[in-house]
Amino acid sequence: MIKKTTFQQKINYQKRGTALVLFSLVAGMVGLAFASEPLYRIFCQVTGYAGTTQVAASVPKSNEVLKRIVAVRFDANVNSKMPWSFRPVQREIKVRLGEQALAYFEATNDSDQPLVGTASFNVTPYKAAIHFNKIDCFCFTQQVLKPGQTMKMPVTFFIDPELAKDSGVDDLRTITLSYTFFQDDDQSAVEKLAAKRIDAKDGVNSKKAVTSRNG
Amino acid sequence: MSDTATAATHDDHAHHDHKPTGWKRWVYSTNHKDIGTMYITLAVISAILGMGASMAIRLELAVPGIQFITDTQFYNVLVTAHGFLMVFFVVMPTLIGGFGNWFIPLMIGTPDMAFPRMNNISFWLLAGGFILLVLSGFVQGGAGTGWTVYPPLSNADYHPTPAVDFAILSLHLAGASSILGAINFITTIINMRAPGMTFHRMPLFIWASLITAFLLLLAIPVLAGALTMLLTDRNFGTTFFDPSGGGDPIFWQHLFWFFGHPEVYIMIVPAFGVVSQVVSTFSKKPIFGYLGMAYAMASIGVVGFVVWAHHMFTVGFNVETRIYFVLATMVIAVPTGIKIFSWLATMWGGSIEFKTPMLYAMGFIFLFVVGGVTGITLANAGVDIAFHDTYFVIAHFHYVLSIATIYGIFCGMFYWLPKMCGNMYDETLGQWQFWITFIGVNVLFFPQHFLGMAGMPRRIPDYPDAYAGWNLVSSIGGAISLVGALLFLYILWKTIVSGEKAPANPWGEGATTLEWTVDSPAPFHTHEQIPEIPEEEHGEKVYVSPGAK
Repeated sequence: MIKKTTFQQKINYQKRGTALVLFSLVAGMVGLAFASEPLYRIFCQVTGYAGTTQVAASVPKSNEVLKRIVAVRFDANVNSKMPWSFRPVQREIKVRLGEQALAYFEATNDSDQPLVGTASFNVTPYKAAIHFNKIDCFCFTQQVLKPGQTMKMPVTFFIDPELAKDSGVDDLRTITLSYTFFQDDDQSAVEKLAAKRIDAKDGVNSKKAVTSRNG
Repeated sequence: MSDTATAATHDDHAHHDHKPTGWKRWVYSTNHKDIGTMYITLAVISAILGMGASMAIRLELAVPGIQFITDTQFYNVLVTAHGFLMVFFVVMPTLIGGFGNWFIPLMIGTPDMAFPRMNNISFWLLAGGFILLVLSGFVQGGAGTGWTVYPPLSNADYHPTPAVDFAILSLHLAGASSILGAINFITTIINMRAPGMTFHRMPLFIWASLITAFLLLLAIPVLAGALTMLLTDRNFGTTFFDPSGGGDPIFWQHLFWFFGHPEVYIMIVPAFGVVSQVVSTFSKKPIFGYLGMAYAMASIGVVGFVVWAHHMFTVGFNVETRIYFVLATMVIAVPTGIKIFSWLATMWGGSIEFKTPMLYAMGFIFLFVVGGVTGITLANAGVDIAFHDTYFVIAHFHYVLSIATIYGIFCGMFYWLPKMCGNMYDETLGQWQFWITFIGVNVLFFPQHFLGMAGMPRRIPDYPDAYAGWNLVSSIGGAISLVGALLFLYILWKTIVSGEKAPANPWGEGATTLEWTVDSPAPFHTHEQIPEIPEEEHGEKVYVSPGAK
């Protein structure tokens, strides 16, 4: 063994320290990359980014209904792997700001087996999403349809009167609310929910099977 | 590093220039010069493949209609392979792995990198990544995702075969290689500079390498995370980017471009460093505004992390978000302008020698300005919505990323070839090569601005007849560029086998950095006696290390 000079020892010590700091920087960035997934979701829910609608328990009591009218259009899609047909019952309704409204969609299971589906949603223009409040929606829960069954699905919503104060949406006359039904990977709800809703023909879905999806 | 490594170094002192021989010299290499050479060799091989892909694309696009690529997925695979190869296996290995490994220790006056064995694994990880990428091309249809790998195109619905998984793992390996390499670079530069070389007296190439390494450290882990999520989406049923499970494809775009935008600076900043050395050397003047140049690169790096969404103006941001990203992007023009004007001011009043590296440095400045101006155009959110995914974007990023960066590579190759292989290139051939390439790349890419403004979409193997004329011109430019590239390979070969012996410093008084104080070719072991950097020379404060004897 050749004896190290103190200079070399000092350099080696420094090198290790630097490398340690740099490796932890890398680890931190990897952590940040994965943390960005929940952060992105929360960010969208809070700010209405990417057309993420807001959720409200009810229309606030203090709410005043303004004269300004916005047309809400409805758009329904199904994922290519989902054998359902899905359409809005009404194409468009005109609502006053602050006024609670109810709209229906209709889905039919075209396949020969019961299927669980969940609808994803957004509104366009995106800038309207922060003002678009859903009180209740079939998209908050999983939906089960028996083969050939057709079901009406409601959505209750209101547009926040605050919209009138947002200069970014001065040009807003129309909001499109869009849904896409996807087949759930987890089909276990078929038996559970089908049993519960055995006599609820054509009815509104049970709210018991609330998943963690909201907003 | 370890005790044995220290012992080995001491052993080498006894037998001067002792080196391992045969395959072990390369496979087990811990020598920064040999590793640098291997990086450059790998890059040359990738460049041949990547250029082959681009030539096939230009051949297909020369005239309207489908010529010989009847399988359109194969066209997508070519586009993807071209992007991956050029970004990860040509530009980065040459400018960072190749020039960085060769010249960081030589320029800062230290015998080798901080962690020579980690340096070895960095290279071989990249070689593994290269093999995986080539394999992905042979797996059931290949990966036709484009280099941006956007889902849903890249998810299991549209690319069900393992080809995309191979490509993802290839990028994982290349990324790990870059991270380890970057840690090595930073540790070396921070701790192992020769006495007297303070941070503010490092050559600009060292500054560029340091900044690039930091960008790699911060950006690559985000790509690695995003790729891992995509991998689990494809194979294990997660839904990070799949709306059916509450995911969002736009989330991929955010992650990808948070990596992708710094990545473009990772490719161009080392070229800034090379060009700064060359402009200073051949103007026989110290670089104008040294500190401004160094901090301009640093600020480009910092701002580069907060502008990513300008790649995504079409996804539907609100006005405020777009205003921010437009302005932040335009701010980058300021430090870039500082660099351009400082290079010009360095040349101003200098005794300029128009040797091949200098021609390439000036070509770099010209091309980078052209690409930068179209970059300002595209930075406008309103304009970008019209130009998104058209050939205007192709023209823009090829001006800055491909041809300007490749000019930085050619510039460095001609500049440092005498030091790396010990022989001089043929000056006449070198200048021919420059002019052929200059004409070729401009004829190739300038007309693509017109095609883009006329609305021709990218990544499509066929187009309406209206776009016929300029596409043919562009393909002819491609053929001219191919001649330039082949001529470069010939010059490289000729220089190595039969070039004139180069002196230690072939460039004269302008070449003041430390690599010119060692013999040509650089001996296996250099700077065993650590050079001292004087504070002043001829009564002037020295910024870039002088020709210490």
